[in-house]
Amino acid sequence: MEWGNPLLDDYVLSLARVRRPKVCFLPTASGDADHYVVRFYRAFAAPRCAPSHISLFRRETGVGDLRAHLLAQDIIYVGGGSLVSLMGTWRAHGLDEALFAAWRRGVILCGGSAGSLCWFSHSVSSFHEGPPRRLEGLGFLPHSNAVHYNDEPGRRTAFLEAVGAGLPSGYGVGDGAALHFVDTDLVEVVSSRPGARARYVTPDGQGGAVEEELSVRYLGEPVPALVVGEAALAA
Amino acid sequence: MLMLMVDRGEDPRRILAMGGGGFTMAQRSPALDRLVLTLTGKELPRICFLPTASGDPREQTTRFFERFAAWPCEPTILSLFHLARDRIDPREHLLAQDAIYVGGGSMRNMLAVWREHRVDEAMRAAWERGVVLAGLSAGAMCWFRGGITESGGAPAPVDGLGLLAGSLSVHMDGEPERLPVFRAAVASGRLEPGYAADDGAGLLFAGTRLEACVASVPSARVVRVTPGGPEGTTLEEMPMSVMGDPAPGPTLHEESRGVSELRALRAGRHRWD
Repeated sequence: MEWGNPLLDDYVLSLARVRRPKVCFLPTASGDADHYVVRFYRAFAAPRCAPSHISLFRRETGVGDLRAHLLAQDIIYVGGGSLVSLMGTWRAHGLDEALFAAWRRGVILCGGSAGSLCWFSHSVSSFHEGPPRRLEGLGFLPHSNAVHYNDEPGRRTAFLEAVGAGLPSGYGVGDGAALHFVDTDLVEVVSSRPGARARYVTPDGQGGAVEEELSVRYLGEPVPALVVGEAALAA
Repeated sequence: MLMLMVDRGEDPRRILAMGGGGFTMAQRSPALDRLVLTLTGKELPRICFLPTASGDPREQTTRFFERFAAWPCEPTILSLFHLARDRIDPREHLLAQDAIYVGGGSMRNMLAVWREHRVDEAMRAAWERGVVLAGLSAGAMCWFRGGITESGGAPAPVDGLGLLAGSLSVHMDGEPERLPVFRAAVASGRLEPGYAADDGAGLLFAGTRLEACVASVPSARVVRVTPGGPEGTTLEEMPMSVMGDPAPGPTLHEESRGVSELRALRAGRHRWD
């Protein structure tokens, strides 16, 4: 759902391997902001998919049986915003459990920003007052995650410090880059922007952390090997 | 007749729970909104609005400033979905207020989000320090032990923060489907006995005691709901005090008779029939 850049959206749709995948948008982390819902329906327009959304702030209209609706999807797309508010609201409606069931059943789960952090066991978020702090997500993926990694000041430093201090090893992901997991294993990093980066961060055993630059395949180029080389050079 | 002996020095805790109305529902009469400021007893009260229950929509923020900017006060917003943008520490900000005004929407979501941000604890602390707690709909029921929410679609009982004993059901006139569910919940014991309030009606508590039922429109009612009787519950209409519209002028000296009465009651100078 990047402005004017459908590459990651197209990639997610291609993963569903059905002609017209059912895609449900969860804008919870934004407080179900209207403009965000409209943006989703523009990005995931019929007829290339069957889009729907669930607003947990307006249950009196829309989808009735949340769990059944989520389990019937091909793709569930989680929007960005506040991870803390997202987790509280999801638990209040049993969505944590429903999303786990959907994931085990093979529904593709995706999202950006808070919609990425939520799938991991741990994250470092700055979407709250004060300095970045450690947060817990749904924990489907037993790794940590940081987003806007090279794009917002303080994110990378906070993540490196947190991993050095005992946060599980995990992924620092820049804007435009996306981690593709099958089960709990990373199979590929793709990007909607040339030069987008992702790093795997592990503790160095001495209270610090080390970063490993990951190969990123730019989805807009026919020859991905060039981009992999570029990303490696940038490290 | 209501005996109104209110001394903030002894028990500073104040809650104004509204069945509906006020600026978020685009109600023209501003009397209940203005009363929130009046209850603080401050010349220039700090008032913070929380639109959590509706997911912090921009429209409510606009309406809040539109209404309160016309009066002598310092209005702010606490958006728990935009803390990174605003860089506000929720507890610190809430405890620095004279009044906290909570909007309506999904009570289940609001309380879940509050818990994650520990706003529930901050609200209790603010109440005990004498910060006026006010709100409508979800923002009114939350102060009680329970209420009737449509957070899941159909009306259903929900637990609140429990600062006040008893229960509250809102929008008695505007959303009539709530009252039968409320009565059944009180009859079965799922909810404690309590009150149902129309849009435009408010319950004013000093400490944990109901001091007055106020109305911004003459038709607005509050009903006491207790178990018993052939229908499972008994309804009893509460005496209402209808407030006039406050004058539009910017100074507190120009306020209406109704608001003057409430100022007097807050100061413990008045008996109000």
